Amino acid sequence: MERVEKPLQTKEITLNMGPQHPSTHGVLRLVLELDGETVVKCTPYVGYLHRGIEKLSEGMTYMQALPLTDRLDYISSMANNVGYCLAVERLFGIEAPERAKFIRTMVCEMTRISSHIIWLGTHALDLGAMTPFLYSFREREWILDLFEKLCGARLTVSYPRIGGVRNDVSQEFLDSLYKFTEEFPRRIEEYETLIDQNRIWLKRTKGIGVISAEEAINWGLTGPTLRGSGVNYDIRKKFPYDAYDRVEFDVPLGKNGDVYDRYRCRMEELRQSTRIIRQCIEKLPEGPIMAPDAPKFTLPPKDRVLADMESLIHHFVLITKGPMAAPEGEIYVATEVPKGELGFYIVSDGTGRPYRMRVRAPSFVHASVLPRLCEGGLVADVIANIGTIDIVLGECDR
Amino acid sequence: MTVQELVKKVFFVEILKGLALTLSRLFTKPVTRRYPKEKRPAALGFRGLHALVRNPATGEAKCVGCGLCAAICPSRCIYIYTKEGPDHKKVVERYEIEVLRCVYCAFCVEACPFGAVVLTPHYEYSDYSRDNLYMTKEKLLQNWDKYMGEEGYNYFDKFWNPKADHFRTPKEQPKWRKS
Repeated sequence: MERVEKPLQTKEITLNMGPQHPSTHGVLRLVLELDGETVVKCTPYVGYLHRGIEKLSEGMTYMQALPLTDRLDYISSMANNVGYCLAVERLFGIEAPERAKFIRTMVCEMTRISSHIIWLGTHALDLGAMTPFLYSFREREWILDLFEKLCGARLTVSYPRIGGVRNDVSQEFLDSLYKFTEEFPRRIEEYETLIDQNRIWLKRTKGIGVISAEEAINWGLTGPTLRGSGVNYDIRKKFPYDAYDRVEFDVPLGKNGDVYDRYRCRMEELRQSTRIIRQCIEKLPEGPIMAPDAPKFTLPPKDRVLADMESLIHHFVLITKGPMAAPEGEIYVATEVPKGELGFYIVSDGTGRPYRMRVRAPSFVHASVLPRLCEGGLVADVIANIGTIDIVLGECDR
Repeated sequence: MTVQELVKKVFFVEILKGLALTLSRLFTKPVTRRYPKEKRPAALGFRGLHALVRNPATGEAKCVGCGLCAAICPSRCIYIYTKEGPDHKKVVERYEIEVLRCVYCAFCVEACPFGAVVLTPHYEYSDYSRDNLYMTKEKLLQNWDKYMGEEGYNYFDKFWNPKADHFRTPKEQPKWRKS
């Protein structure tokens, strides 16, 4: 009998990670091809959370589509709302009053803090540091309580309106928020005591997922993910909207473009956001909170609706048919949400509904860079890379 | 590596600092609540379960059936059926809200010209059947009695008043005060 010699073979194995993996931050599915511990190929699959928000909004009036934007990036819903409202306002050619602008800036930065601390908690938890998770959720609760005081909802706020904000802030809210800005820098120091110099944290983050400035731009990265590579690009500075041109803040930059630098960037942003909120409270002007000279685009006040025929007509038409005076045309407005650049591209055909609404979601673009970051690295670092680009699949899949 | 760095590395200085922080937290008051036993009060204007406002004069619902709430509802979960009553008056025959589809944006509250629909602070209403969460007009009026009652008539004054005033500057607006 002939004896056949089979040479020992090595074979790459395919590993399916997600969509139910706890550290993929939602329903991201990665198909990894592994050679031992090394990732040879990484293919992200998205779409498990697709709800058709862009298509749904075509059947809704401009005002009705607002709650949909809450559900894009559901941990920073306020920033999404503001982005959408700004886009529609610029399309209509109306402008929010000063007080509303400052309130919006304030709540946007609160959202940034809440989003960054939930990122810090979960990212550290994924990399094995459990304590920052418990500590960061303590502050997140504070912010959510403030949101509840402000508008009655904690997560899906629907607070800004086209042409202003829904209701004025209360004195209690302002006082509590100011106390928060006094207390929060100390809390940031607590997080840093826990992990900033921790040797395990440094080993897991330094030199992992390195991306150069040029490459980061080419991949279309935005937000802290881009600034970690040292590119000074922040829409709040470059194309200021709302009250961002009237407050002082710095844009923190990284140097090496690795996971650690992006972590440092976000931690600095927490401090800068606190600074912005404090300035907004101190500078908060008095005045109306809805655009007063736009009765065809914003709802008239309640007390006038039953007293004034014209207001009643505007009220009924705006609610049932949407703003009928909407000009034809298209517009793209980008805002800096905690994750990066969130853009709304709206095409209007003059009816009260958007003809097409396209959302440029930062998470979608950031998910596309995952193969570039993961390939060639270790399988354990895939978790670090998913965490560092800070994606939320609600926004990615829309 | 300097001597200082070596000492830090050998004696786990940064880890000990972190442990000291967590140890110090052991002696402070916990921030967590024992939820089912201990409940936090909902803030003013919390967007919870729906209710129809009872008119204090007639004891009936304030709703006139104009259908604006159904028109603005982004999830289309409000159904209104009206008919002609005596004296050619419009009568709201059925007013139904499918609570499980609601997204709690409170646009219905904002759209209603009469202030006839509100969202109550009640949020614990999970159930085993869908039918129990399909709110008919009677159920919605009961919700008003149960969760808002007399207090509820101040709901709009307290929370929505700024909205009603937004064309003119209110006399006293909240602003920063040095604590």
